[in-house]
Amino acid sequence: MTDTTDAVVKSDKEIGSGITPKDAKRIRMENMSHEEKSYLRRRSLMEMVWRFFRFVILFGLGFVIMYPLLYMISCAFRDRSDMTDPTVMWIPRHFTLEIMKETLDAMDFWNTLKTTLILNVGCAFVQVLSCAVTGYGFARFRFKGKNLMFAIVIMMILIPPQVISLPLYTQFRHFGIGEFSVNLIDNMLTMYLPAMTGNGIRAGLMILIFRQFFRGLPKELEDAAYIDGCGPFRTFIQVMIPNAASAFLTVFLFSVVWYWNDYYVSASFFNNTRTIALMLQNLDTELKQRLFNSVTVELSSREQIVWKEAGCLLSITPILLLYVCLQKYFTEGIERSGLVG
Amino acid sequence: MTEKNSAKRSRLSFEKRKGLYGYGFLGLWMIGTLIFFLIPLIKSLIWSFCEVTINTGSTSLKWVGLKNFDYALTTDPNYTDHLCDMLFETLWKTPLVVIFSLFIAVILNQKFKGRTLARAIFFLPVIIATGPVYAIINGDMSSTGNTGAAQFSTMFSTDMVGELLQFLGIYGLSDDMGTMISTISDNIFGIVWASGIQILLFLAALQNIPPSAKEAAQIEGATAWEYFWKITFPNVSPFILANLIFTVIDSFTSPTNTVMKRILALRDDWQFGVISSMAWIYFGIILASIGIITFIANKFIYYEVD
Repeated sequence: MTDTTDAVVKSDKEIGSGITPKDAKRIRMENMSHEEKSYLRRRSLMEMVWRFFRFVILFGLGFVIMYPLLYMISCAFRDRSDMTDPTVMWIPRHFTLEIMKETLDAMDFWNTLKTTLILNVGCAFVQVLSCAVTGYGFARFRFKGKNLMFAIVIMMILIPPQVISLPLYTQFRHFGIGEFSVNLIDNMLTMYLPAMTGNGIRAGLMILIFRQFFRGLPKELEDAAYIDGCGPFRTFIQVMIPNAASAFLTVFLFSVVWYWNDYYVSASFFNNTRTIALMLQNLDTELKQRLFNSVTVELSSREQIVWKEAGCLLSITPILLLYVCLQKYFTEGIERSGLVG
Repeated sequence: MTEKNSAKRSRLSFEKRKGLYGYGFLGLWMIGTLIFFLIPLIKSLIWSFCEVTINTGSTSLKWVGLKNFDYALTTDPNYTDHLCDMLFETLWKTPLVVIFSLFIAVILNQKFKGRTLARAIFFLPVIIATGPVYAIINGDMSSTGNTGAAQFSTMFSTDMVGELLQFLGIYGLSDDMGTMISTISDNIFGIVWASGIQILLFLAALQNIPPSAKEAAQIEGATAWEYFWKITFPNVSPFILANLIFTVIDSFTSPTNTVMKRILALRDDWQFGVISSMAWIYFGIILASIGIITFIANKFIYYEVD
């Protein structure tokens, strides 16, 4: 309702009657009947109350979300003894970078980060491409067996990775036919091969998103390209991909996040290759070995928290930076990525 | 006339040719799906009926019928317990997550100062909640007790809910309702953190509501309440189904899931047959629950006729 009053005020200004908006409002108020006034008053009161409630709700829940992150930062820079000090809540008494350094060391952070970038981010990138090609195929071409294949895509979304991870393991263990088989376990190909063929982590969902998106693009784009003598593959590369840039970015972000956070698949296929998610899982034993030279040292769970939280902070910082930089595409790109309709 | 015919014929053949290109676009995916999805899937189905022994270079199978399923359901000490716990949790959490995320999406769709910041914060769980970081955060929240959970339970504590109800003059509320409210407020952390993608999807749906519908509602003098039930709700109803399904899948595959942990633990003992049957029971339950949800939800969904 406030919209309409704004409109009236503006139009007064446009006419240039020389009345300030405040005067205009007063004049309008004088001309109003009692009912109209009370209606507007009720309206603005409701608006105020709602605004207040909205703020309380958003602030409270935002706090619930931010709380672990704030706690993480607070813990990562405090001394171990501060954990058992009841007077320390948020601001550490003994500020120290020691814990951070130890965790960096225990996680072998820079090497791990390199592995993660090569493996997870690389896979994420490759998978976006393969899923885009597949999604385009589903969106624009008509051929026999398409419905059956689409049903398989839906199955890929529904079937939890736990169901097929074991046979996949044996398959990678002896990859190939008969005599000509190689052991791919601990090889990066175990992640790259499925990603390349659109069968990696949550690939079904990504194919679905791309299909929806390409269906939403106007057909005239391609028709024009075909008339100009462009083949379907060239049309896809030169016409469709530039038009789908925002969708690519959104899906790529999702893909990076999913690969970054994955540890089920990598835990299944890797013994020695270490990604950040895997290192974080094994941080406990690693720390004990490095700091105290034995795995059996007893540490109270409260004291362990400092290292754990430091590890968490380290492992989400890169992706958090990515999120902050591309936040706009993440939160608004999704609306244009064709998930709807 | 002949021109028209020939044009039609060439168009048809063009369509057919285009169809062949479709196979070209899907070819890579088809090969991959066969190797990395369909074959393992069928293998695991066969394994679940067999006793599997792994030798170097090959696997040998012995058909044992339903023995593995029997073992998983009756003999294994943890499996059924974990399964029941998880089912129960999914049952009460899913509707809460969906309602909550719809509510937040409606709020985040309104215009107010700092909306971008609010959205950025509410989407944060999307990038964190699928990984091991969440498991640690979650564990620390419960293990630190007084410093962790107490922080926001001072904000959302059951006492506060109770006091609020008393303040509003609601005394005669039954105990069931009371416990329900306290469960919700105690688990607010889990619910908020589980609803990132759902909020994202609902928001996308809300933005697709045609502005003309809003104008019409305003002219007719609809209140916010009426607007929600008559315009918003029907428009997002297909997404309620999508979100229900997504939430169910998400909770079944979440890293904090105990069934998954049990399956992983058994793998170290190389009991492949049992694991396969467990995984298939698990998948059967997921499929059944999604089927039931779809069946029920389809009765309430409004599809706009294009």
